[in-house]
Amino acid sequence: MNIDTAEALSLDENSEVSFSQLLVLSGLSDNDLRELVDHGALTPINPNASSWMFTSYCVVVARKASRLSRDFELDAHAVSVLLGFVEKIEALESELHALRAGALGHGPAGTSDTVSR
Amino acid sequence: MKYKDYYKILGVARDASADDIKKAYRKLARKYHPDVSKEKNAEESFKEVSEAYETLRDPEKRAAFDQLGSHAAGQEFRPPPDWSQHFASGSPFDQMGQNAFDDIDLADLLAGLTGRARGRSGGRAGAREGPIPGPDYEAMVRITLEQAFHGTEIDLDLSVAEYDERGVAHRVPHRIKVRIPKGVIDGQKLRVPGKGGKGMQGASPGDLYLDIQVQPHPLFRTSGQDLYVDLPVAPWEAVLGTSVELPTLAGAVSLKVPASTRAGQQLRLAGRGLSRPGGKSGDLFAIVAIVVPTVVNERERSLYRELSESSNFDPRAHFKLGAAA
Repeated sequence: MNIDTAEALSLDENSEVSFSQLLVLSGLSDNDLRELVDHGALTPINPNASSWMFTSYCVVVARKASRLSRDFELDAHAVSVLLGFVEKIEALESELHALRAGALGHGPAGTSDTVSR
Repeated sequence: MKYKDYYKILGVARDASADDIKKAYRKLARKYHPDVSKEKNAEESFKEVSEAYETLRDPEKRAAFDQLGSHAAGQEFRPPPDWSQHFASGSPFDQMGQNAFDDIDLADLLAGLTGRARGRSGGRAGAREGPIPGPDYEAMVRITLEQAFHGTEIDLDLSVAEYDERGVAHRVPHRIKVRIPKGVIDGQKLRVPGKGGKGMQGASPGDLYLDIQVQPHPLFRTSGQDLYVDLPVAPWEAVLGTSVELPTLAGAVSLKVPASTRAGQQLRLAGRGLSRPGGKSGDLFAIVAIVVPTVVNERERSLYRELSESSNFDPRAHFKLGAAA
């Protein structure tokens, strides 16, 4: 059977989604999404713009918010607080991972470009 | 159809009150929710817990579940002959033959009783009237570092619910071929538009979300798009400098180790890490480790002695400064 190959899109800082796309992709209500923005859990690229755009990484955060809200029966404020803690833990884990990899074990003074083919 | 003991999954008695069920769910959700848990197999465990709670919190579904009887977890079973008439009257399962339950998942069966289907983001999509967007699928994908570096194509085999003309969900195997872009990193999330479940009554399909896990590599460690590799050098190579052949994910390169290189020093190979979409690539860092021979012959021992006698180098000079302070 011939199966078409589908393209996987990175959810990162390099692409954008609109407010209405974020609503559909996250399953959040309009009100909950606006509250998450008000509480600082999600930040539009230009908060002063008439129609908000977000980096596509916000899809990851908004879906997480949607799951936390549904599974723990939390309101948007509680989800925002929880997301803040989760974000801090992820940042610490990332730092720990970098330390283990050797990234932070030695200062930049020891770094030098010395490659040749 | 395989039996799942929802009471056992939540760790409550069959006569547990609604409050006890809620408490048990919250405790297990705290332990296994994939967004807050670091437990092994958290996602799989939470899926079971969530499924059990969805059934037992709803009096109608709980009664229907109770009447299925008690079986061993994982045991194949069929609902009693009069079960459909009592609990599935007016639902898509009404009038189904006994054999028709074989490829039905227990959760889909119980969800179908209340005339609801799973919508986008795994949430409930409301009554089954009008278009219902297809559910999103989520899958964890383990790839090698080489696949992350070059990009790759993977085949995903999922077991998904497909609805027949009566609206009955059947579990069917589903293969999806996906192209993973180069430069993905461990923990990255990807979206494959339109590759989730089919929408109902003309609604759009859901999406497929991939959680990328990059397998540990025997040589390279990763931090974001940067790569790290240990570079063992002999003491004389560190002192005198040398050129070494260094493996990279794009093939070996010749790396100049400068004279007087210290242990732990990082030699940066710019742009030889994982590529960033729309930006410059990460770097590869070779971390110098000075390795001494454990076995030396007479000639080498003699040369080390000669070096020891003629060198003024004191690697512990700072001890004396510290002691004088």
